[in-house]
Amino acid sequence: MSINPHFHHTNEQINEELIIIEAAKQNPERFGPLYNKYYKQIFNYLYQRMDDKDTAFDLTGQVFLKALTNLPNYQFKGVPFASWLYRIAHNELMQMFRLQKDRRAINADIGDLKYICEEHEEPFFEEYIPAIKKLLSELDEEDMQMVEFRFFEKRPFKEIAEILDITEVNAKVRMYRIIEKLKKSMSKLKV
Amino acid sequence: MEPKFNIDRPKISDEEIKKHQNFEQLVKQFKQQSLNKARHDKSWWKSKKVRYSAVIAGITVICTISYLTLFKNETTQNKTHETLITQDTKKENTNSKKNFISEPSQKLKVNYTTYTINNAKGGEIKHPTSSKIKVPKNSFVDKNGKDIIGDVTIEYREFHDAADIIASGIPMNYDSAGTKYTLESAGMFDIKGSQNGEPVYIKKDKTVEVQLASANSDDRFNQYYLDTVAKNWQYIQKDNANTFLDNNHAKKEFDNNQKDGPDNFVKKSPKLQILKNEIEVVIPKRIDSVKIVYTKKIDAVPKPKEPSKISKPTPGRPTFKLDGSYSEFPELAAFNDIIFEVGPENNNYRKEMHEITWSDVKVSEGPIKGKNYLLTLTYRKQIEKLIVYPVLSGNDLEKAEKKYQQKFKEYEGFVEKRNAEEKRLMAEMEAKQKVYMANLKKKQDDYEKERVKLLVAFKQNEQKQLESSFNNMSMATKATRIFNISSFGIYNSDSPHGQPSGKTVTPMFVSNEKGTLINPDIIYMIDHKTKTVYNIAFNEGFKITYEPQNDYTICVFRQNKLYICSKNMFKATANKNSDKFTVNELAEGSDNLSEFKKALEI
Repeated sequence: MSINPHFHHTNEQINEELIIIEAAKQNPERFGPLYNKYYKQIFNYLYQRMDDKDTAFDLTGQVFLKALTNLPNYQFKGVPFASWLYRIAHNELMQMFRLQKDRRAINADIGDLKYICEEHEEPFFEEYIPAIKKLLSELDEEDMQMVEFRFFEKRPFKEIAEILDITEVNAKVRMYRIIEKLKKSMSKLKV
Repeated sequence: MEPKFNIDRPKISDEEIKKHQNFEQLVKQFKQQSLNKARHDKSWWKSKKVRYSAVIAGITVICTISYLTLFKNETTQNKTHETLITQDTKKENTNSKKNFISEPSQKLKVNYTTYTINNAKGGEIKHPTSSKIKVPKNSFVDKNGKDIIGDVTIEYREFHDAADIIASGIPMNYDSAGTKYTLESAGMFDIKGSQNGEPVYIKKDKTVEVQLASANSDDRFNQYYLDTVAKNWQYIQKDNANTFLDNNHAKKEFDNNQKDGPDNFVKKSPKLQILKNEIEVVIPKRIDSVKIVYTKKIDAVPKPKEPSKISKPTPGRPTFKLDGSYSEFPELAAFNDIIFEVGPENNNYRKEMHEITWSDVKVSEGPIKGKNYLLTLTYRKQIEKLIVYPVLSGNDLEKAEKKYQQKFKEYEGFVEKRNAEEKRLMAEMEAKQKVYMANLKKKQDDYEKERVKLLVAFKQNEQKQLESSFNNMSMATKATRIFNISSFGIYNSDSPHGQPSGKTVTPMFVSNEKGTLINPDIIYMIDHKTKTVYNIAFNEGFKITYEPQNDYTICVFRQNKLYICSKNMFKATANKNSDKFTVNELAEGSDNLSEFKKALEI
């Protein structure tokens, strides 16, 4: 599985970010480069999981305000700063969904669904779409998040683990179980 | 409840996302949130404070009652209270001043020079920069307005460039009716007066004249006084640069340098003195001595004597024929019938002389040796002297002719030989003199070259001395700015500049050596074009605004360390449109004022 270059950082990029973070810890005005760099990514992440774009924009602002407020507590753990932002975004989302479940939406491209089939060595036909949709909708929230992270957004396990605040091994195990679950369900598609 | 499932939902455009992207709004929200938090904390503190205040107030009341009971002297009490208030106010003022004027580093101090002046006599203080402080008689009073008796200590220091200004910690911001400016200084000074550690004040009707030496002779500057209570510069009046005094000074400096003059400078050169001695004394002496030696040598060469030719008698001239031997005169000895003809020069000759039988006749050498003779005739007491010439006739004449021819030949050979020897000696002398002359010429050339070299060196040295003098005297040579001050404090000759309107960035400073981020405590930015120093404030987010076409240097102070982003480094960042400024740490030991000035390239 290829990794989405959006979520991959070279050591140089990570170091560059660290310098900005340290500066922004002293002076919030210096947070600008990180805000500009990740605004679109965070918005897309949030909007990908809901239907209302205005709410997504509001929530994006909320995420960055929280990030700025908590920046002095930020500690580098070997993953890009974005992972920390995604975790804040994830927590914000979960908090909102706890209160307003109906806001949750799943957004995927046909390509993503095709990709899921391919990953499970199953052929993809457009007629399968409703069945796949149904199948995915039946997944519980945690599993669905993993699918979104891994199949729709193609994030590395290390980053998924960071966002969900679990270990990388745990993330892999969870993913393995989901794949097994999906395999079973997808085999039914042939029937 | 199952979530809604969308397939291929239209994407939000980048433009729309960008529209919602507003970092300034985020920072505003963040600041507001921080402010609210602080208010909340403060209100909590306040409530605590109220409780504590009540306790303190209670204790104070008890103490005061006890105090009043013990000491009933009201006057003393009031006085003490007054003193306490004065001290507190003073302390407060000092603190506020300290905060307002905050030196960024203890190592970059601009030190005060201390002078003493007698209040009753007054006088003039000459500062090393050639600034002058003129103090009239009885100018100082104490805090009660009483004339100071005795000496007053004047502490004085000047600030002339960006390094001095940064080191002083004196803010150069100027707020005029709400418009913010940064002041470009043509010279600033800080003056204090005290006696035994107690401050003194300038008397109401007196002014102290400060003639500030300035590097800038422009007349676009104003005079300002730093009001440390209002925390702003107060305009005094238009400043006038007095260049006349300065020109005199420059001339004086120049004259001092010229005092010795190039000729004296050249004359003092030991090398040139040696050369001059060789040219004027040593070599001419050698040439002369050669001449003397060879003249002597030539003289020593034997000189041939030309043989005398004995001729036949002149018709009509009287002659004497003498008997006797001429052994004394070998040239005459060979002849038998020799006669002597009386020369026409003998005015004493008389015919009668032939009639007298002379008792004694003597022939001796005549005035022309070998040619004529002196004939002395004596008879009793009569003595006659005649110059006579020997003449021959007959066989004697032929014989004499032959002998003469032979002798003359010998003589000619001798003369030729002598001439050859003389010529040889002359050639030898000339050859030796030629060597000395060549040496003399070389020495003369060397002398001229050395002289020119020394003159050039003198000129260059003079130029250097002048430049150095201009620089060392700092500003004295360019203009004098006269301040009539009626109180001690900080005064400045300034020209206000508006804030730059070019590019604004929130800079990050990265150490060139370690690659680590430097979080500044204080930032100063120097605009080399306008010669202004910007103190970049933290409360404004440490933002800098610069004109891309100008040269800047940034100084970052962090935990007693000084980092500098040089002109080139600044330019490199500005050209890249980056906000990451590379800085070099000013090494330990180099963090003094003079090294700081070098590092700032001013």
